[in-house]
Amino acid sequence: MFGAGAMTNSIPEIRDTDMMFVIGSNTTEAHPIIAMEMKRARRRGAKLVVADPRRIWLAEQADLHLQLRPGTDVWLINAIMHVILAEGLEDREFIARHTEGIDELRAVVERYTPEEAERITGVPAEDIRTTARWYATTRKAGIYYTLGITEHTHGTDNVFSLANLVLLTGHLGVPSAGLNPLRGQNNVQGANDAGASPIYYPGYQRVDDPEARARFEAEWGVPLDPTPGRTLPRMMEAVCDGDIKGLFIMGEDIVLSEPNVGKLEQGLNNAEFIVVQDIFMNETCRFADVVLPAACFAEKDGVFTNSDRRVQRVRKAVDPPGQARPDWEILCDIARAAGYPMPHYQGPAEIYAEMARLSPKFAGISHPRIETEGGLQWPCPEPTHPGTRFLHEGGPIIGRSRFRPAEYRPSREQPDAEYPLVLSTGRTLYHYNAATQTRRESGPVLKQPTNFVEVSPRDARKLGLTDGERVHVCSRRGTVHATVMISRRMRPGCIWMPLHFSEDRANLLTTEAGDSVTGTAEYKVCAARIERITDPAHTEDDGGARAAR
Amino acid sequence: MTSFTIEIDGRPVQARPGDTVLELARGQGIDIPTLCHDPRLEPAGCCRSCLVEIEGQRRLQPACTWKATPGLKVSTRSERIERHRRVLMSLYLADHPVDADGRPPESPDGNALRHLTEGMPLLDLDRIDSPRAGRPDDDNPYIRFDPARCILCARCTRYCDEVEAVNAIALTERGGATTIGTIGMTGLLHTSCELCGGCIDTCPTGALSEKKNADLDLAAAEVTRTTCNFCGVGCQVDLHVLDGRVVRVTSPPPGTTVNDGNLCVKGRFAFDFIHSEDRLTEPLVRGEDGRLHPTTWQDAIEKTAAGLLGVKRRHGPGSLGFISSSRCTGEENYLVQKLARAAFGTNDCHQCAAT
Repeated sequence: MFGAGAMTNSIPEIRDTDMMFVIGSNTTEAHPIIAMEMKRARRRGAKLVVADPRRIWLAEQADLHLQLRPGTDVWLINAIMHVILAEGLEDREFIARHTEGIDELRAVVERYTPEEAERITGVPAEDIRTTARWYATTRKAGIYYTLGITEHTHGTDNVFSLANLVLLTGHLGVPSAGLNPLRGQNNVQGANDAGASPIYYPGYQRVDDPEARARFEAEWGVPLDPTPGRTLPRMMEAVCDGDIKGLFIMGEDIVLSEPNVGKLEQGLNNAEFIVVQDIFMNETCRFADVVLPAACFAEKDGVFTNSDRRVQRVRKAVDPPGQARPDWEILCDIARAAGYPMPHYQGPAEIYAEMARLSPKFAGISHPRIETEGGLQWPCPEPTHPGTRFLHEGGPIIGRSRFRPAEYRPSREQPDAEYPLVLSTGRTLYHYNAATQTRRESGPVLKQPTNFVEVSPRDARKLGLTDGERVHVCSRRGTVHATVMISRRMRPGCIWMPLHFSEDRANLLTTEAGDSVTGTAEYKVCAARIERITDPAHTEDDGGARAAR
Repeated sequence: MTSFTIEIDGRPVQARPGDTVLELARGQGIDIPTLCHDPRLEPAGCCRSCLVEIEGQRRLQPACTWKATPGLKVSTRSERIERHRRVLMSLYLADHPVDADGRPPESPDGNALRHLTEGMPLLDLDRIDSPRAGRPDDDNPYIRFDPARCILCARCTRYCDEVEAVNAIALTERGGATTIGTIGMTGLLHTSCELCGGCIDTCPTGALSEKKNADLDLAAAEVTRTTCNFCGVGCQVDLHVLDGRVVRVTSPPPGTTVNDGNLCVKGRFAFDFIHSEDRLTEPLVRGEDGRLHPTTWQDAIEKTAAGLLGVKRRHGPGSLGFISSSRCTGEENYLVQKLARAAFGTNDCHQCAAT
């Protein structure tokens, strides 16, 4: 957005911030240690505004909780900008020096009045005004977001809107401020950095940039395809349509994590050849022709890059079980068996060195340096460069940054008479993604043994539901079991379900309707209904026995 | 902020408003003993171990809470301080279990009382053995509380309040019965506890310890520093290994890494998966019967390459997709995209969480 896809600022800076605007992030559950920094800032007296359809724990602690309707983020953010412009609170000097297109933004947000916003989002106009004033007049004010912003059909619009807000108020290139996507996986950042992307080679160099391509062709010794490839959601579509017939899948259980998996499973059945490389026999292995046993993080060397661009070491502590091997060794063997002369790397340090040689952003980072200096934050272009704590000091990396005003578009699937509730999905503190790791651990299993659905007291009353009752949750795509958890955290009309339980997969319900740019699926909004189970055979099935598996 | 000079043990020390005597002394390498101090917590001044002489003050004062002011003069060593510490430690020990050698017992993370009384001539006091209650029926799987070893420094309860902010445990009862309690003394699973284990980490005497590895000789474990494999915070963790198995996970000390000494329930305790019986241990290939069968690595690799090349030959490189993983290392992601692009000629390579 400003020239780098990462947190602009650093995690340790959070404790010194004066205001936190947390939107679409249940930080205490998804990023507990970042939440500790937020709690610390809060104790120091920093203001906290939380925008989330659920009254999550952070919302309880907040000065203001903006309990918006799911999917109305663009309305909310535009209204905040409306107030800032109407009251003349924008950072004129920053706008003049570092941005372009302010008039287009002004024209769009002019129509987004706080009063109208209240009608659409359900957030009181006065709270929107207060948020706008606090944010615009606090120098060290940071925005923190995660998948509640991106997992929408208008996810890109949401991100653009937040970026507009940052530019409008000049909260960029300042410590303890900025725009901070909190990364959900240990190495999402590092996987993107390393070029596991259809558009980018390592270091965010575009595949359709002839100069970048020439550099990689020279190093790798083969001609490379100049056309960008397909994103994961597009690839999944292609699997369903039969265009992709061969899949290599490393360390992901797509049958659990992709939306609308019923359809995907049919596509996988029709594929010609599927390889799964993982540490456990996951659900996707049912479709695999070859299953390769891999080493887990404790059994190999390498690096992970965290949310704040910090490249840190992974070190081998124990041997892999049986014949399992580190993924990097397996990948090299496959390449050679396929006729490509992959170098005989001595180890991950040498692989990293090859990547750093090809990527100016990480050129100064190496395993030996991390050994002596600890984690290094990119950009780090030279071996003597200390790394970068916060980005865009002295203006956006890309020079002038353009405002990208976004108009509100409703989520693809709206509740109706047949499916009157809005279902959002997400992660809990005790489990992690497909839960192949955490459901083998006693604490998380005791805390959360089975799938559950959070329902507001009002909806529970209306549907005659009791706490702890097993129900069916249904969408246009499927039905799953869940235990009712009546919760004051929920907005009436909205329900929430975790994604962790393979026997009751929330993603049988979710829609694969994706963002127009990224294709990221709308895991946060789909229409659903809850049905009581009358057949007693179902109610006995509390899932506890399976959870102990 | 204007700095000023104070004097500690006759040495001039630069200070800024808000600095405490303890921080400034430790910055000079002057050792002041503490029990209730943890840099992540507000100073409490409750254990009385860090008392020092401050010019103009009639009584000894806690170094951890005393703020520096211009011209302040501090002595950290004197006969009076020695005498105070000897009495204080003797009192602590009268209410603390002792080993056969008459010294406080070790714990996996040491025991600050044992360390602080090393070589100290103690007073011969009658034993007190306060009636602190524990929660012997607490069925939580991770955290054990031994009330006998508790010295009521309140680091655990303050951590639970100030850092984790869930307030699952608190000082309860009064007088000699004061203990670390929960609401109604129920087990931690039935409280707001999130099982982060920070209370164990901060406990100076081993009154709080881990249940998972209680019977193991943790002192013999080899420790490897690595990065946690769950969310994107990048917490640094120390894996403790005994007999080829990870038996414990701890954080590096506060102030040294991005997680500042803290971990969550997943990072600290969810490591059993590493040695799970369900781990894949051999390559598998699907046979004519439609089932997966064990095979050799060579066969599995050859079948993988041949299978992917076959699809490419029949339908072109656009018929192949490579899904990489945000759980794997940077080097491995680099190799997957190199495999896709250089070996199979396609840019259809993405990772599972491109958000």
